Amino acid sequence: MFFWRRAKQKKARGLTSLTNSLDTNIHWFKQDIFANDETIIYRRFRTGDPQSRACVLVFAEHMVKHEFLSEHIVRAMMQGPLPGGLHKDELITYVTEHIIHSNAVTVTGSFSKLSELIVGGRGVLLVDGCDLGIAVDAQGWAKRQVTEPPSENVVRGPRQGFTEDLGGNVALVQRRITNPAFKTKFMTVGTQSNTKVAVVYVDSVASQALVDEVIDRIEKIEIDAVLDSGYIQELIQDSPYSPMPTIGHTERPDIVAGKILEGRVAVLVDGSPFALTMPYLFVEAFQSNEDYYNHWVPATFHRIVRYISFFITTSTPALYLALISYHPQLIPTNLVISIAASRQNVPFPGIVEVVAMGLVFEILREGGVRLPRPVGQAISIVGAIVLGDAAVSASLVSAPMIIVVGITAVAGFVISPLYNTAVLMRLFLVLTSSILGFYGFVLGVMAIVIHLASIKSFGVPYLTSMTEFLGQNVKDAMVRVPWWRMNLRPKYVAAQDRKRLQSAPGRKNR
Amino acid sequence: MKGRFVLVLLLSCPLLLLCGCWDYTEVELLDFVLGAGLDQVEPDFVVVTEMIKTSGSAQEAQVERVVLTTHGRSLSSAARALSSPAGRDVFWSHAQVFLVSEEVARGGVLSAIEYVLRSRHMRSTIYMFVTRDCTVEEVFKSTPPFNDTVSEHLGVIVDLHAQVSNFYPLQVWEFAQDLNAEGISGTLPTVQLIHERGEMVPIVKGTAVFKKDKMVGWLDGEESALFSLLKGRFQRNHFVMETRTSQGTYPITYQIMGNKVDIKPNVKGERPRMSIKIGLQLSVVEVGHGAKISFQDEKEVKSIEEQLAHTFNRRTRDLLEKLQLEYNADILGFGQLLRRKEPDIWRRYSENWECVFPLLAVDVEAKCTIAFTGLYSQPIIVRD
Repeated sequence: MFFWRRAKQKKARGLTSLTNSLDTNIHWFKQDIFANDETIIYRRFRTGDPQSRACVLVFAEHMVKHEFLSEHIVRAMMQGPLPGGLHKDELITYVTEHIIHSNAVTVTGSFSKLSELIVGGRGVLLVDGCDLGIAVDAQGWAKRQVTEPPSENVVRGPRQGFTEDLGGNVALVQRRITNPAFKTKFMTVGTQSNTKVAVVYVDSVASQALVDEVIDRIEKIEIDAVLDSGYIQELIQDSPYSPMPTIGHTERPDIVAGKILEGRVAVLVDGSPFALTMPYLFVEAFQSNEDYYNHWVPATFHRIVRYISFFITTSTPALYLALISYHPQLIPTNLVISIAASRQNVPFPGIVEVVAMGLVFEILREGGVRLPRPVGQAISIVGAIVLGDAAVSASLVSAPMIIVVGITAVAGFVISPLYNTAVLMRLFLVLTSSILGFYGFVLGVMAIVIHLASIKSFGVPYLTSMTEFLGQNVKDAMVRVPWWRMNLRPKYVAAQDRKRLQSAPGRKNR
Repeated sequence: MKGRFVLVLLLSCPLLLLCGCWDYTEVELLDFVLGAGLDQVEPDFVVVTEMIKTSGSAQEAQVERVVLTTHGRSLSSAARALSSPAGRDVFWSHAQVFLVSEEVARGGVLSAIEYVLRSRHMRSTIYMFVTRDCTVEEVFKSTPPFNDTVSEHLGVIVDLHAQVSNFYPLQVWEFAQDLNAEGISGTLPTVQLIHERGEMVPIVKGTAVFKKDKMVGWLDGEESALFSLLKGRFQRNHFVMETRTSQGTYPITYQIMGNKVDIKPNVKGERPRMSIKIGLQLSVVEVGHGAKISFQDEKEVKSIEEQLAHTFNRRTRDLLEKLQLEYNADILGFGQLLRRKEPDIWRRYSENWECVFPLLAVDVEAKCTIAFTGLYSQPIIVRD
C-alpha cells in the first residue's frame, strides 16, 4: 500500500494539472494514470464549429450511461455552434453553460481529481487548447431494483428494502421524512475504496453530541477499504469484545426512519443494503417494525412471545441438562421414566449429547444459509431425516434431545437480531449448568445480566427501559402501548423535542 | 504484570474441570423407586420396594416393574442394601407411597417413619398406608388392571378421594404431625387385596386407628367415609339409604354435594362436652325399585331430609362409641380442639385425657337438605 501511494505521489509530481495540449493530457492519462486499464475509453471527436477543435471524452466504460454521454456531450458538442474567438476558460465556461445538458458538472484542472471522477463514473470532456476538464455526472451501472428485503420480511408494512446504491438508500429514508430537519452528512472512508458513507439524522430530535460523536468516530477510521456497513459497525462500536450488538443494522428504510425519528443516528454505506442505527439498546432486539403497524394488543402479545423465545433459545438445553444430570427429582415421575427409557442405550453423557446436537444444528444451518435454494432443501432433508431420525434409531442421541434442539433452534429464529449472541449464551449456560446444575445455571444467568448491565451504546446504558417499571420508557419495552399513549419519545435517546404525539382525535370515540 | 495475570487466569481454567461435577449423575443409570414398604421390624427390617426398570431403544421405551425385598438392621440400611440386587443407583425421590404391614403398625410405626422423615431422598409428601389382611410384599406383587405399577395405582386412588371417600388419605408429614400433636391420635388408610378375574388387585378402603404410634384397630369403609366427612374433607361420594316414603320403603342413592362440619367444645356445664354440627347438602342420584316418588312434594322431601339427618346422627354416635369405648383413640382431635379453644380447661384434663375421652359427652346434630334430584324431579314411570 505504501509503495502504491508513494508511486502515485511520484507520478503526480511529474504532472499534477492539465496542460494546454490535448495530446499531452491524453498521453498522460493513457500511459501513466490509467496505464493497463482497458475499461477507460477515449472518445476522440471534433466540434461542429468552423474551428473544428479536437475533443476527447474520457470515461470508464461500465460506469456510465452511454446514451447520456453520446446524446448530451458528443452530439451537443458536434452540433452546437461554438462561437469563435473563445479561449481557454471562456470556452470551458461557454461549453458548460450552453452546450452540455446536465445538472451536475464539475470543472477542474487537477489530474488526480479528474482521474477520481472518471473511475467514479463521470464522463470527462477535454478540449484541445484548454487546461481544464469538464466532468459530467453520468453514472450508470447495474443497480438492483428496490425489492422486499429478504432478511426482514413483514406481513403488514412497507415492502421496500435498501439496495446497494447509497444515494437511492438515502432517498428511501428521506422520502419518509420530508422535512428540512432531516440531515445527511456524506463522508468518505477507505484509502483504497473511497467508500461514501452517509450519516443521517433528524436535526430537531437527535442530540448534537451524539451526531458529533458518530461523525468523529467515522472520521477517525483509517482503513484501506470498506465493503459493507459491517466494517464500520465493528470499527466504531462500544464494548467491541462483547458479543452483544451495540449497533443495530437493518435493511428496511421504514425502520431507519422510525429510529432516527426517535433521535437515533443512522449510517448508510455505499455498496451495502444494511443501514446501521445507533445507539442500539437490548430492548430493540425485541421490537419489530410490525409491532407499530399492527394493533397494539397482538403486538404486545408477539413481543412477549419474543421474550419467551429468547429465554427458551438460551436456556432450554442448559435446563434440560441440569434436570437430567443433577435434579431428576424435579421432573414429573412419568416424564423422568420416559426420559430415562429413551436414553437407555445412548452411549454419551448428557453434556456431550447437548453440545454435539447443538453443533450439528449449527452446521446444518450454516450449510443451508449460503447454498442455493434447491441444494439448501437437500441439506434440510439430510438434516431432518438422516441426522435426526437415524441418529435416534441408532441410539446415538435420545429423542427428547432432538425435541430440545428443535425448540431451541426454532425459538432462536424468532429474535433474529440476537441469534448469534443467543448461540453463545446458550453454550455458556450449558457449560455452567453442566458443572453445577441449576446453581450453575443461575450463576451463568447472573454473569450475563451483570455483563449486559455494564455495557453502554453511545453513552446510553444497554439495558435502558428494561430495568425500569414506570415512565415513558416502559411503554415500548415489555409491551407496546397504543399509539395514543406513546406521546413522548424515548427519554435517553431523544435529546430535544420529546413530544411525539400532540393529540389523538379517535380517543373521544372509544 | 498484565500478561502474568492473564496467564494465571488461563492456567486456573482447567481447575474448574478438575473439581468434578458435584452431584452429576446420568438419568438412565438410576433405578426409580416408586413405592416402598416395611413388612417386619423384628428381628430384621424387611423392606419391599417397587422399582421401575426402563429398557428398549430410544424409540420404543419399555417400562417394567420390579419388586425387590431386602433385609437390614434398620430401614435405611435395608434401603441401602437395595443397590446391590438392583445393580444400579437407587433413586428414592420419586417414591409416591409408603406401606407398613399390620404387624409393624401394631408394634409401633415410629421406627418406620423415622427414616422416611429424616432422609432427604424421600419426600415428606409421600402417602402412607397400612396393609390389612396381607403383607406389603403381596400388595406390591399384585396386578392393578390399568396402571403399570401398584404405587401409581394407589396414587391415583388417593387423587380420586373425593369420589371414593371410604378412606382418609394422609401424607407422611401430616401423619407425623398427628402423632406429635397433643390431644389427637393418628390414622392411616388401609390397603386391601381383592380378587378380580383371577388376579389380586389392591384397593384402598378403611382406616387403621392408632393410639400413640401403635395401631389399635380398624374402621371399615363406611365408618371411614363418615370419619373423613367429620374431618371436613371435600367429598362427593355416593351412599344408599333405605328411605321411608309415602309409597313405601325404597333404597335411594344420595350424593354429598356440600359438607360443612363444625366441632366445638362446650364448657358451660360442669364437665366439658363436645358438639358436632353436620350440615349436608345432598342430591338424589338414583331411586331404587321403581319407586314413584315426586320430589316436588315438599312434605315428602322434608320427611326424607329428616330421615337422612337421623341416619347421620345415629351413624356418628356409633362411630364415636367405637372410638371412645372400643379404641379409646381421639382421632377426631377433640383434645386438640379443647386445647385451642379452652386452654385453661384443657390444662386440667390433659394429664388424664385418656380417662376423660371415653366418657366425654358429645352432642351430635345433623342437618340435611336435598338440593338437587338429578335431571328429573318427577318419577320416571314405565307404561305399556
